[in-house]
Amino acid sequence: MIEVKNLVRTFNSGDRTIKPVNDVSFVLEQGTLASIVGKSGSGKSTLLSLLGALDKPTSGDVVVDGVSLASLPDSKLTEYRRRDIGFVFQQFNLIPNLSAVDNVMLPMEFAGVRKASRLERAKELLEQVQLDPSKHDRRINRLSGGEQQRVAIARALANEPKLILADEPTGNLDEQTGDHIIELLSSLSRDHNTTILVVTHDRVLANKTDRRFRLQQGKLTEEPARERAVAATA
Amino acid sequence: MSVLARSVGNAFRNKVRTAAVVAVLAVAIGLALAMLVANQAVGAKVQELNASVGTVLTVNPAGGQGFEGGGEPLTAAQAATAAAVPNVSAVVGTSSLRLRNAAAAAAQAAQTAQTGQGGPGNQTGQAGPGGQAAATLTTSLTAAVDAGTLGNRNQQANGTTGSTGTTRQPVRSLPITATGIGAEVDTTGKGLNITQGTGLGDYSAASTGALLGTTLAEKNNLSIGSTFTINDQTYTVTGLFDAGTAFGNNAVYITLPTAQTLAGTPGELSSMIVTVNSMDNVAAAKTALQAALGSDKADVTQGQNLQTAVSSLDSVKNISFIAFIAALGTAGLIILLIMVMLVRERRREIGVLKAIGAPNRTIGLQFVLEALVLAALGSAFGAAIASFASNGIASALISSNTSTGAATTGRGFPGGAGGAFQGGQRGPFGGASQLLNSVTASASPGVIAGGIAAVFGVAIIGALVPALLTARIRPIEVLRGE
Repeated sequence: MIEVKNLVRTFNSGDRTIKPVNDVSFVLEQGTLASIVGKSGSGKSTLLSLLGALDKPTSGDVVVDGVSLASLPDSKLTEYRRRDIGFVFQQFNLIPNLSAVDNVMLPMEFAGVRKASRLERAKELLEQVQLDPSKHDRRINRLSGGEQQRVAIARALANEPKLILADEPTGNLDEQTGDHIIELLSSLSRDHNTTILVVTHDRVLANKTDRRFRLQQGKLTEEPARERAVAATA
Repeated sequence: MSVLARSVGNAFRNKVRTAAVVAVLAVAIGLALAMLVANQAVGAKVQELNASVGTVLTVNPAGGQGFEGGGEPLTAAQAATAAAVPNVSAVVGTSSLRLRNAAAAAAQAAQTAQTGQGGPGNQTGQAGPGGQAAATLTTSLTAAVDAGTLGNRNQQANGTTGSTGTTRQPVRSLPITATGIGAEVDTTGKGLNITQGTGLGDYSAASTGALLGTTLAEKNNLSIGSTFTINDQTYTVTGLFDAGTAFGNNAVYITLPTAQTLAGTPGELSSMIVTVNSMDNVAAAKTALQAALGSDKADVTQGQNLQTAVSSLDSVKNISFIAFIAALGTAGLIILLIMVMLVRERRREIGVLKAIGAPNRTIGLQFVLEALVLAALGSAFGAAIASFASNGIASALISSNTSTGAATTGRGFPGGAGGAFQGGQRGPFGGASQLLNSVTASASPGVIAGGIAAVFGVAIIGALVPALLTARIRPIEVLRGE
């Protein structure tokens, strides 16, 4: 369970103080598929970085399974990111001189998984995200944007994290592949009890999530799930 | 992919830059290794010189300096006096002879008679620099080295061939140095390096055995058991020695009484080689020896030219060591700057690695290994450079730092009973400059390995700072760029 308590993050820009995350509180049960929508610059990515322990809040706390992230030293936060978090960055942030399979193996290497096991799992994950096997050993900078996005998603799943934080995970994908990724995330949430929080502009994806939040001027509000309920009934 | 494999891959990410970095590193490392090789070679030579002649004093007749002088010959009684001086562990007397090939001498005499030229000193008793008559004897041996310009000039000046008129003078060969010795040492007090055969046994007794320099033996097609003559008396080659220089090997050693008999000066010595029991006592022993023998009778020297040589070599050693450290530091600085640049360039990537859970030590290790890959490549090329350049660099260092010393070693030492020899052959310590030149800086695997280990140590230090910088990069910087 992830519990966000009065989270605030401020930045100073000249004389002004910007609050992209302003007193945000919510609770996500384990296995929830949630989405955050909002305009560009509304603080969605900042909120994700706070939940993923990439950044430290100005005030407030994130409590994961009863453990306060604010109380953890850097080494434990690194361990938390390695073991419990899977990131899908908006710009993928893959290592350009490594192959697709090497990129997916990286988090497993840091987690101490044996080489044979991580190679097998990396290929399995790349197949799950529908990357052509002929491109598994291709360097990242020789893959298209959509292919890179699929590698980024596979990398996020590598260590079977409790929480996946995905920033526009379907942004560069065609409709068919996007649908497949949405289905993959849904099945992870449903079958593997993985909590997934996606930041998206994609209404289709947002409507398929269990809970939908809107971030506006740093304030987070939860939207009713009427459309989702209708879709589920149908 | 392991950290090492990733580091190797990263080292070749930008091939042009890697080539440039490796080239610069190779030059710095090559220079460092060449300096180390030179340092080791010179150090070994200094040690060898100190070990062989560091405790040796030479006693010559007083007044026998340069091309002037006179005085009385040294005697066996003075040798006994010297042996009684405190801290003197051994005294070896020498008697120097000058040998000329009998046929060449006869031809010269005939030519001189035909042309009506000739100088005064070409028969016997040629004036040596010590002002005493040197015994010039005839031999069946032919000298192994030509006199050269200096030798011809000196022979003309001494009246050996005559010098007036415009008649072209024939090319002369140098006289052969023959030395009677009281122990199995050369004229510098250093043990003879007998490469074939045996020594002369009892050096205090007359003998028909002789030791020949290797080049002299080769020139005359002599081997162990062969015979030759001095003044029509037959001598048998019992051993061959290698003095390390061409001039030094154009020599014959016989026992001291044999030489004294040949020279017709029984009981007289050309010089004495006095060995002091330790380096610490050399100065005191020198003073005591000079007092015991009398400054009007004998000059006691400490092989000044060799001291100069050792001093020059010590300078070269110091310079090469400083240059080694400087080149090593340069290599370390290059690595440091390159790695700092790489860390700055890859901040985003480092942030990504941290975001996906890479510990600081893994990222730091990756950069250190990358630096070591560059250092290894630089070392490989640097070692190749050093193996080709070290001897040249060592020679350049020695020649630029020993010109003064070499000039002083060019003087002949004073002649004793037998006189000193000229024409290119220097006195007892005349080979000092050749000793300097005989420093061979060969790039031995051990020295190269030691140098490369030092390079790797410096590379690790150079890479540690940037590697530690990676720990300060926060993963949020990845997202801030988006």
